[in-house]
Amino acid sequence: MRAIAGREVAFDEEGFFEDFESWSEEIFEALAQESGIEAITDQHRRVVRFLRDFYAYNGRAPLNNQLRQGMGLSLLELEGLFPQGLKLGARRLAGLPNPKTCS
Amino acid sequence: MKKIRLRVNGIRRELIAAPATVLLDVLREDLRLTGAKQSCDRKGQCGACTVVVNRQAMRSCRVRVADLEGAEIVTVEGLGTPDNPHLIQEAFVLSGAIQCGFCTPGMIMAAKALLDANPDPTPAEIKQALRRNLCRCTGYKKIIEAVELAGRFLRGETTPQAVRPTAVQGIMGVSHPRPSAMAKACGAAYFTADYAVKGALELAVLRSAIPHARIVSIDASQAEKMPGVAGVMTAADIKGTNILKYLVADRPVLCKDTVRYIGDPILAVAADTREHAAAALEKVQVELDPLPTLSGPGAALDAAAPRLHADIPNLCFDQPQSKGDAQKALQDSAAVVSARFRTQINHQAPLEPEATIAYWEQDEAGGDDQLVIIGRSINIHYHLGMLQSALGWENMRYIEAFSGGQFGIKIDVISEGIAGAAAIHFRRPVRYIPSLAESMLMTSKRHAFDMQVKLAADAQGRLTAYCNDLVVDNGAYHSIGHVVVHRALLMLSGSYHIPNVAARGRLVYTNNPWGSAARGAGPPQVNFALECAMEMLAEKLGVDPFDFRLQNSLRPGQSKSTGRVVQEWPFPALMEALRPHYRRAVKEAAAGRSGRIKRGVGLGTGAFGIGGPGDAAVAAVELDPDGGLSVYAAAADPGEGNDSMLTQLTAECMAIPLDRVRLYTRDTGNTAASGPAAGSRVTYMIGSALLNALEQLKAAMQSTGAKTSSELEAAGRPKRYIGRKKNEDAGPLDPQTGQGPSFESQVHAVQMVELEVDTETGKVKVLKMTTAVDAGPVINPLNLTGQLEGGMDMGVGFALREEYVAGRTRDWVTFKFPTIRDSFDMEIIVRETPRPKGPLGATGVGEMCLVPTAPAVINAIRNAVGVWICELPATPDKIKAALAAA
Repeated sequence: MRAIAGREVAFDEEGFFEDFESWSEEIFEALAQESGIEAITDQHRRVVRFLRDFYAYNGRAPLNNQLRQGMGLSLLELEGLFPQGLKLGARRLAGLPNPKTCS
Repeated sequence: MKKIRLRVNGIRRELIAAPATVLLDVLREDLRLTGAKQSCDRKGQCGACTVVVNRQAMRSCRVRVADLEGAEIVTVEGLGTPDNPHLIQEAFVLSGAIQCGFCTPGMIMAAKALLDANPDPTPAEIKQALRRNLCRCTGYKKIIEAVELAGRFLRGETTPQAVRPTAVQGIMGVSHPRPSAMAKACGAAYFTADYAVKGALELAVLRSAIPHARIVSIDASQAEKMPGVAGVMTAADIKGTNILKYLVADRPVLCKDTVRYIGDPILAVAADTREHAAAALEKVQVELDPLPTLSGPGAALDAAAPRLHADIPNLCFDQPQSKGDAQKALQDSAAVVSARFRTQINHQAPLEPEATIAYWEQDEAGGDDQLVIIGRSINIHYHLGMLQSALGWENMRYIEAFSGGQFGIKIDVISEGIAGAAAIHFRRPVRYIPSLAESMLMTSKRHAFDMQVKLAADAQGRLTAYCNDLVVDNGAYHSIGHVVVHRALLMLSGSYHIPNVAARGRLVYTNNPWGSAARGAGPPQVNFALECAMEMLAEKLGVDPFDFRLQNSLRPGQSKSTGRVVQEWPFPALMEALRPHYRRAVKEAAAGRSGRIKRGVGLGTGAFGIGGPGDAAVAAVELDPDGGLSVYAAAADPGEGNDSMLTQLTAECMAIPLDRVRLYTRDTGNTAASGPAAGSRVTYMIGSALLNALEQLKAAMQSTGAKTSSELEAAGRPKRYIGRKKNEDAGPLDPQTGQGPSFESQVHAVQMVELEVDTETGKVKVLKMTTAVDAGPVINPLNLTGQLEGGMDMGVGFALREEYVAGRTRDWVTFKFPTIRDSFDMEIIVRETPRPKGPLGATGVGEMCLVPTAPAVINAIRNAVGVWICELPATPDKIKAALAAA
């Protein structure tokens, strides 16, 4: 558990949300700042919204080509938005939990 | 070469084959009849390749095609198809004799030859006919029953229609055939090695033959010039981290500068054929500089021992557990026993060797091509992430093929890393189909435990204290090492109320094979110590071991060794259910002790946690246009029958026929990330998530009156719902006290072994095992009993025979794989106490079935001949030595 944006949130060892429902815009903004994103743009928010909608519908993160097609951006452009990459950056900041493992 | 004419499944074939070519390879590779399987490296040890040749069952890996001029061959594909199956195939499906299905075609063909010659065989004749066919899943009981049922079908005494459950019987608690069973019975289920990929490279991998060394140099120049070779791949060629991080980042795809166990991979040769790759591998020159070998935890914990991993101490995890005041309780107790118990490194022994296919799917939109991995994973979403990081390729997908058993071995990524890396490096499709010997080298093993134990009771026979100092050999890499220690501590006190506990679990890196999940993963080892100590203590107190166990059962309101108070504990009723069987067995054993062969009875109990701390699962359901239902959940099914579970729960909840339920469980591209098929969690966790989704859908359908997806959407409601299940009791154990969160539920069992010991040879013959189990309401009885029977058989192998010795254990004979001739009588008593938080009250059962087995066997040996075997396996040599020393 850690306190962020005024709330106690459970993260796993890699910093992913334990619970998809714990996410909020405020927490996203705090995490984005920590991750080195200097200014959150509409593109960031669109990616995060896409990821969250996809997860809510499918119970998993999108494959990269699904993300690319869904956003209409190349992987290079997507990676450019999130300094920590698509998994540790975009997916983590969007509140998508890691796939469950034996821990 | 020789030209041969023969008939296969009634079709005339003309082949030109080399003298050494065996029938199995012609069937699989030339005729693409992949029902016959390869497991034992063509040594004739497993029978998975059995076909009928001129009306005789033959192991096709031992039959030279050159000797088959004019032969009539029937394979499982020639017997029947899923739409028009043979009666023997029907019998195997209806008897629940098919779990993973890898041995099934061979079993069915052996049965065919038997029944053609003898339509009414006795069980002994069936065992004789199937003596060369191995099965890891079933314990052989249902296979024998299937052959008997097939005989009844063939003799016209009954029909499949008369045996097959009908809709009138309902859904829950009825043994409806598994959805996948008939495809497996007909050789129509594709296992990984069954896929042919045109133009694919085949791999041969150089693995270390010594346990610890520095890689000084690699010279592959001669290998690269060999015929058919596409190239040689080393760690330097891997684009990503080259580390397969499960929980700790320590295991390389290919070793860069150090090898740490016998089997560590150094490089891969890729060629157009396996033969070319293997020939080229012989030309590779690798210089290794041996380093000191950490042969076990003792050596690794020595203050002067070098670190196996530079950044991690050899003692890589240390978790105490303390409840009450065990030292004081020991001093105050009327009776104390003390003993050291040791368990062996063991192979999980799925019949199917490791295998991975990797191929490319072109991205028509112009993006990166997608690398598709087909393999044996039981956690496709997590493994996909591991592979993306290790290999440095993001656009990737994982598909689970049918899988020939796994028993924990596929909790971690194994051959997928090298196969995927080669596909990326050579930019070609790749088939990596290692031999059984190489599979044994590369895969994880069951951890060896070394436990110093004290158990105490007061004068009234009430347990007072338990101490267990357990040291776990982690092997060379971590995988789930500390989880195994955690699980051992979470279930340390077994079925019992023990008010004072002092334990310590230490995990130690060594140069042994890397440990990981193996059916039960920790509890079978610690329960061996506890249950043998219970027997010792009952003996010391002079009380009956049955009554002693019952007296000390945990009760609702009391706590486990973790301090967590339990709300449900239906164990005493199980004991009572077994009591008449125990009385009968004790009486019979007492009459069998006068001669050289002495009979004994032994007990073992277990309480196995289901739904671990913080565990979470997700599943998706969708209403289809025709009113059927699609389930999207990555619930791997390497043989347990998870397809039955998902189908029957869905049909029951939604009141629809079974054939209206469609499962999507194998592809990261269309499944919810439901978590691993491990820890006996699939029914409890994924089944609960599924029900949660179904309840949402049902509510939407009921409120709108919609029957189909279009009607539901027209009413403004979604057709798809996500369900979740979580154990809110989350977090690690306290690092100082080992107190803390625990499992949400338990499955309970007590097992009784009846056996004979030959006092001259030390050989043990198990006569019968009786298991009383309470796993909640039963979804599919044949699936439940199938798990229990297979688990008992595996547990007896663990107790008496099996051991993995790196460099020596290389096939099924050296492993001492249990055969049908080792099989024994089994009886199962089922109680069905509903679990408040389980799916329709159910829990899981896949691992519990062997948790009590080894101590029950060892206790029975003690009962028979008066010696304790505290180091597994209890081989004849150990028993003879103990008898001589007695």
